[in-house]
Amino acid sequence: MQPGASILRQALTKWHPVGFKISKGSAPINRRNFLCQSSLATLAIAGGLPGMSWAVRGNQLHIRNYNDIVTLDPPFMVSGAEAVVAKAMLQCLVQFQRNGTWDTEPDAAEYFRQIDDTHYDFRLKPGQMFSNGFGEMTADDVKFSYERMIDPNRNALNSVDMGPLSHVQVHDRYSGTLVLNAPYAAFLTIAVAGSSGAILSRKAMESVGGRFNIEPPSSSGPYVFRQWQAKRKTVLERNPLWKGPDAAFDEIHIYAMTDNKAAETAFEAGQLNCAQISVESTDPFRKNMPPNSHLELYPSGRNYWLGMNQDNPSLQDIKVRQAIQWGIDVNAVVEAAWFGLAEPATGPIPRGMLGYREKTLVPPQGDPDKARALLKEAGVELPLRLRLDVNNDSLELTAVQVMQWSLKKVGIEVSIHAQDNGSFLNIGSEAAGDQWQDVQLFFQSFVGGGDPYYALVWWIKEQLGVWNWERFSSDEFDRLNHKALATTNEPERERMYWRMQDLLEESGSFRFITNGVMPQITRNTIKPAFLPDGYPILRGFRPVQPA
Amino acid sequence: MLAFIARRGLLALLILFLAVSLLFAMIHMIPGDPANVILGPKASPELKAEISQRMGLDQPLLVQLGRFYTDLAQGNLGVDVFSDRPVFDIVFEQLPYTLVLVLAAIGGATLLGVPLGCFSAIRRNSLLDRLTAVLSVAFIAIPSFVVALYLLLWLAVKWRWFPAMGAGEDGDFMDQAHHLVLPAIALGLGWVGYIARLVRASMLEVMEENHIRTARAFGLSERTIIVHYALRIAVLPTVTILGMGIGTMLSGALFAEIIFSRPGIGKLLHEAVITRNYPVVMGSVLVTTAFFVLSTLVSDIINALLDPRLREDGGSS
Repeated sequence: MQPGASILRQALTKWHPVGFKISKGSAPINRRNFLCQSSLATLAIAGGLPGMSWAVRGNQLHIRNYNDIVTLDPPFMVSGAEAVVAKAMLQCLVQFQRNGTWDTEPDAAEYFRQIDDTHYDFRLKPGQMFSNGFGEMTADDVKFSYERMIDPNRNALNSVDMGPLSHVQVHDRYSGTLVLNAPYAAFLTIAVAGSSGAILSRKAMESVGGRFNIEPPSSSGPYVFRQWQAKRKTVLERNPLWKGPDAAFDEIHIYAMTDNKAAETAFEAGQLNCAQISVESTDPFRKNMPPNSHLELYPSGRNYWLGMNQDNPSLQDIKVRQAIQWGIDVNAVVEAAWFGLAEPATGPIPRGMLGYREKTLVPPQGDPDKARALLKEAGVELPLRLRLDVNNDSLELTAVQVMQWSLKKVGIEVSIHAQDNGSFLNIGSEAAGDQWQDVQLFFQSFVGGGDPYYALVWWIKEQLGVWNWERFSSDEFDRLNHKALATTNEPERERMYWRMQDLLEESGSFRFITNGVMPQITRNTIKPAFLPDGYPILRGFRPVQPA
Repeated sequence: MLAFIARRGLLALLILFLAVSLLFAMIHMIPGDPANVILGPKASPELKAEISQRMGLDQPLLVQLGRFYTDLAQGNLGVDVFSDRPVFDIVFEQLPYTLVLVLAAIGGATLLGVPLGCFSAIRRNSLLDRLTAVLSVAFIAIPSFVVALYLLLWLAVKWRWFPAMGAGEDGDFMDQAHHLVLPAIALGLGWVGYIARLVRASMLEVMEENHIRTARAFGLSERTIIVHYALRIAVLPTVTILGMGIGTMLSGALFAEIIFSRPGIGKLLHEAVITRNYPVVMGSVLVTTAFFVLSTLVSDIINALLDPRLREDGGSS
């Protein structure tokens, strides 16, 4: 018996001279019995009785997900939180390796080969079975899944991931060819290995009318869907039909936890065995690590930058924008907001991804004297007063406050306007009215994907007034964006992305801050697996015996 | 009594209509595009237009409001365009968690607060009274989220007596009750002090009344006088406050749901507002407002049952 139960039992015995007995027939209901029994119930609820453990037990993985799932149907998934869950259940032709890179290896495919710029051959491993009696996976299921993504009648959110995919040719039961209308360099990482390339059973999908929300009618991966409780958790269990090496756990419980602090407490309380924690908690956790745990830092893949609306009258002069670039000490921003755990960014493309630049044109520490000189050249009357819009988030607010301090030293007075995410995401949108014209400075962040294309496409001319709030406009940038997407020669492609980032910086409208950091804390009894951007690969998690 | 209930019911419906209409207008006037927030950069202009059209956001506000009430009259709260699930299902799968939390908090607060207030009044100026006064004021003064954090740190993290997150497994009553303890204490502790002070003040007032003196003159026991004559009247203001308290707690439950990672209507509403998911926001607002109005109505009716004078003067309490 646990201490709580013992103490209460003693107290009850003291209170009642003949002691107190649990569950002894039908005692008459009177005040005294009621009090005794309600006390016992309280004791039981308080966890004093054994066998009511809530901590992680058995061969289960209990892990935090940063958000709840909206749908697991690949064309309509809206966030990375869903991809984390879906990829444990659904197979793709290829998958990302678990070596901290964006390199791929076969998943459902026995092989996957690029034949030329627009043709990719694949052959499925024989004997991969769909759950719920929907039979073996065939090339026709691949055709169904890929062509469903680009079906114009569906107007699917993630159809853009498939780029110029035209159709899928089926050669026989297991093999086929993915045919593109044009070269698409991001095809492998974004379309084939990403959650948009998940393979569904044609028969299973037809049995549910062509679409599902949460529970896939069938899946072929290491785990299968068992339960979803809205705003609480999703439970997966081992797929008995799975023949591959994964599926190390009987069950995976994935908790939807939007709040970092709640996740940290749950981990400390023993209810989770892996959780993403906040940046500010990283150091306290390191100094006072929960027992049997370890912490790892991953670059988050989120791009943080200060944007400047070059169409705003106060910022039309490039010298003013350059003065802001030189006036901001990025090292100080990263030190204050990310506690020095992240590194200054060199551009939207994070370290480890093709196109990562080794350094920026404007050094991270900036140069206040140069900034002042640029302002003088621009003939601006000081102090220059500017408005900075930012999402109402403590980390981002800290970052902009340091920028505010940096810029004040060179004669620029910045007023910070924090807004909730819903309002903030509208400020540069032409569709929302004329307010974009009043936008001056803004602190923005965005998560890319496994390909540099996603990190840079937002500044082509087509995106003016959509996500290109800087109003950056460059023919060369647009041309390179198009060309880089069409070339599969990696060194050549990399040079294009370097140049594109140079162009962004040369415009004066960007001050790249950091790609962030994603701290993950894990029990030593678990060997985790993460993508290079810190998202968990659930099928790669393994139980281990502590040393 | 029936006329009283009918009068009160009509008033409650009117209040509900006005409150929901006002909230509808306020929510829709906040800038923001749900497609931008939820779908992010991938959302094409065509998709945004489709979502806007499916949510009815391309219509004037009055038309949207009219459509909302028309659908409501047919028992339809609309569909969440992102998950394609009925809003009714989304809201009502979260509501029980919040109701249980609120009822546990207010129930616990009443069970502790009323006896504490009574004892304090009976033993006026005693050590117990002073101790209760200090504790009550402390309970009222400490913000609920501070209580929640300390409960978490001590009872969940340090001693591991209680779980730190979740609402327990479905169908396992003890597990669910176990998960309920800390959030309910965090939410209800302030109300213990409040109810205790209220009951004490009412009891002191009632104990000076003529009918209590008369009862004493008749030789009734002090216990009978307190339980059957004094407390019955003294508890009236508490019943009124409890009615409002349930409504207040429905919104206050949000912090407990976030800190303890519990599902619930507060968290649902919070997330829906952030993402500008208007159908879910309106469904949640409607339900919480309805419960607020309903709990106030029930407290009015209970008051009227306990004190017939309230029925005759139109129910002003």
